[in-house]
Amino acid sequence: MADPIDLEAYVDAAAELVGMPLDPAHRPGVVLNLGRIAQMAALVMEFPLPDDTEPAPVYQP
Amino acid sequence: MSTKPGAVVDALAASQAVRSGATSAIEITQTALAHIAARNPALNAFTAVTAERALAEADAIDRQRKRGETLGPLAGAPFAVKNLFDIKGLVTLAGSKIDAERPPAAADAFILRKLNDAGAILVGALNMDEYAYGFTTENTHYGAAHNPHDLAHVAGGSSGGSGAAVAGGLVPIALASDTNGSVRVPASFCGTFGLKPTYGRLSRAGTRPFVASLDHLGPLTRTVGDLAASYDAMQGADPNDPACAGRPVEPAFPILEHGASGLRIAVLGGHFAGSGIAAEAVATAAKALAATRKVEIPEAARGRAAAFVISASEGADLHFADLKSRAQDFDPMTRDRFLAGALIPAGWVLRAQRFRRWYREQVLALFREVDILLAPATPCPAPRIGQETIEIDGVAVPMRPFIGVYTQPLSFIGLPIVAAPLRQPGGLPIGVQIIAAPWREADALRVARALERGGVTNAEPALG
Repeated sequence: MADPIDLEAYVDAAAELVGMPLDPAHRPGVVLNLGRIAQMAALVMEFPLPDDTEPAPVYQP
Repeated sequence: MSTKPGAVVDALAASQAVRSGATSAIEITQTALAHIAARNPALNAFTAVTAERALAEADAIDRQRKRGETLGPLAGAPFAVKNLFDIKGLVTLAGSKIDAERPPAAADAFILRKLNDAGAILVGALNMDEYAYGFTTENTHYGAAHNPHDLAHVAGGSSGGSGAAVAGGLVPIALASDTNGSVRVPASFCGTFGLKPTYGRLSRAGTRPFVASLDHLGPLTRTVGDLAASYDAMQGADPNDPACAGRPVEPAFPILEHGASGLRIAVLGGHFAGSGIAAEAVATAAKALAATRKVEIPEAARGRAAAFVISASEGADLHFADLKSRAQDFDPMTRDRFLAGALIPAGWVLRAQRFRRWYREQVLALFREVDILLAPATPCPAPRIGQETIEIDGVAVPMRPFIGVYTQPLSFIGLPIVAAPLRQPGGLPIGVQIIAAPWREADALRVARALERGGVTNAEPALG
């Protein structure tokens, strides 16, 4: 996801999928920011978590 | 009570003066309102001043005193709140243009009411980054908040108005929120104390959320006494915030003078080592506390990354309807980040939430060996308004996302933290984070008080 060309294609497709049309003027900033988020996410995704690590939600039925 | 006529900079001292009859709540309120009118045009800290309400509250306090009733611990002390707190009768802006179309709030936020109950006087609402998504309060709709120590510099964010109002002597107490550092960053840049309590300690009911998983509320003040007294007054269970843990009230003020003795204090290395003025500030605090031990939090950079991903995703989801229909009405400073956050694959967010659990276990293990950790609050003192990059170890990095590098990995797991202000002669302030184990706010406050008493901290207001 680090390739900016891939990111542009992803942004266009994902924006269409979620029904959020992007103003062409906003698109470069969105691509830049999704690139930053992708770099952060890569740090999280590459870390091997044990299968029994569950999230810690506050939801209480 | 004040270092210069026209400023009320110590809430407990002001309150004591009201209790003793040396002054009245009305006089203090009028003094504060006059100082706000004189100084706010330069600072742009306030977005609304609630003069009529403030004078009515002050009048009620003075009547209580005349009737011989016991006054609250903060009776007559002025305070203001970040404009994401509901104030009855006012529209809650949360720094946005979009929310200006909402109806006025029907009731006050829970902890605002708590401070009122303690006798404090609400004088207004404070500037912030739009929807709390920023570290600089360079708000396009309402203007940038200016740093009282140098008006060309940012006040920090997202609670920049809170930092500027306290540092400028406009109010002795300002309430703020902290999702990734928004109490601690303005406290560091403006040279005030700030407290981000444990996640779930204070109710967030009646405030505009940003990231439900990570949102906290807390006060900024000029003294540790005011920090502890206001924190104590705001504690309490509240079923209207599902994340509020409902802990019993555990007052910190009565044990504030216990000092740092008996607490095992260590300096955070690794990710938090810092450089330059930030590292020097931590070294100064560590020396004063005789803390020689160094420890590391494993995978802190990943902790920051996970907080970054969760914030972008939850924040975007909260504003999704507006992002779809009226993106042009968002602040250009936040808009593209919010839009990008709406496009994040679900797996990234879920993994970040699971990582949070793992990371929490590592940090809790560390707290079996130590009681207090020290780290820089920000990588540098306040940058200039409009500045794009900052230099870290000789490398230029984008300024705005980098400001939270030391705050984000800690709020991510909800640790209680006091930001304590240090200052080099002639320089801008910078803060040190005093980090305690969950629910041990009092430990962090005791250490902050020991530094304050030892003359290590410097929260002198910039009165202009």
